[in-house]
Amino acid sequence: MYGRKGCQLLKELSSAEKGHLPQFNSDLFEQVFAECSQHHLELQSLIRKMQEEGLDVQTAKNADHHGALIHHLALVRNKRCLMAYVYNRADNVRSLLWKIGHVLPKEIEEKLSHSEEVYFKKHSARLKSYMSSLQVDLTVDMVPPKDPYIKIRVLDDIGEGIVLSDDKTANFARHSIHFLKRTDAEQFISRGLMEELTG
Amino acid sequence: MTKYYDIDDIITEEETVSVIFQKAASGVGIDPSAEIDFIEAGSKVELPFWLAHELQLRQAVSVNVPPCFNQKTRLEIQADSASVDLRSRCPFFYEFGCKIAPIVADRTIGFLLFSAFKSRYKEVLTKAHTATFTAGSKFWTILTKEEINLYETAQSAMASFKKWRMGGARFQVASILRRKRKSTE
Repeated sequence: MYGRKGCQLLKELSSAEKGHLPQFNSDLFEQVFAECSQHHLELQSLIRKMQEEGLDVQTAKNADHHGALIHHLALVRNKRCLMAYVYNRADNVRSLLWKIGHVLPKEIEEKLSHSEEVYFKKHSARLKSYMSSLQVDLTVDMVPPKDPYIKIRVLDDIGEGIVLSDDKTANFARHSIHFLKRTDAEQFISRGLMEELTG
Repeated sequence: MTKYYDIDDIITEEETVSVIFQKAASGVGIDPSAEIDFIEAGSKVELPFWLAHELQLRQAVSVNVPPCFNQKTRLEIQADSASVDLRSRCPFFYEFGCKIAPIVADRTIGFLLFSAFKSRYKEVLTKAHTATFTAGSKFWTILTKEEINLYETAQSAMASFKKWRMGGARFQVASILRRKRKSTE
């Protein structure tokens, strides 16, 4: 049936868990694309046939007209599916920047298509330049903290020599506990490398 | 046009309806029973809604009432609406109903949708606040997509309320990573 593959593409996106981005399905994407070209060819051949019969393409309502109409509608439908797929993924990619930060972990980067990676990098660069012109970091937590310092535990080996905002370096070995500036810790927490200790 | 990029809307329109062609159409392979690529006037074909709707606007086809709004479903909804499995009939029961109602001759679909939603709504909210996770997950296999959204919203509202009362950590792992972490540990 026409348009089924395009819909499959979107079902894949919608059946993914909330906030999770599935792998870019370039195979199916190409197939829908090929289906579009096929519709285009068949549409043209039907129109040509009508012209050869000397009919006015605008007003004649014969079987060929309805055939061409169906191909046209299928083409528009496939276009909508492809557009929606790319658009919704782009939405998702942008939100990654706010949720995870400027560096994507490898397992997520693998799921993006090449142009989505470029999109992410450009978006990140734009945001950085905007923030530096404002001199405000917009990616930090929206709620003002009660205490600028928090206690954290390191969950994964992050490595030595990480420079903090007060120009000191720290050794974040696994399971060590630190007392850090909130703004320094934030990006590590959202990437799942540290956890906040409360109470 | 506002729903152009809406995934749910696109999937809703993929739902098939059976139509009867009023006009012939050539060069299309949408009728699996036909041997050649030609559809005679009067033949009955299953088409996705998006195609049926546009053809109906141009008076090329007439649309039949889809099976998920048949007499059997109606009787079940009248008997005990909360336990009818609407998801297996059509995961977008209400949205699809709203789209199909103006183009079929049946005038009672609107009322059917209204009464079904009204009586199921109460049940969904009650279950969302009271049921435990396992009982809830069994229950929501019969809900439509719309009702699941409602269910989840109700639950998250409850969770936020509890969090507000008890307090909790402000910072959390980005939700996209959370599942992954657990599996590697």
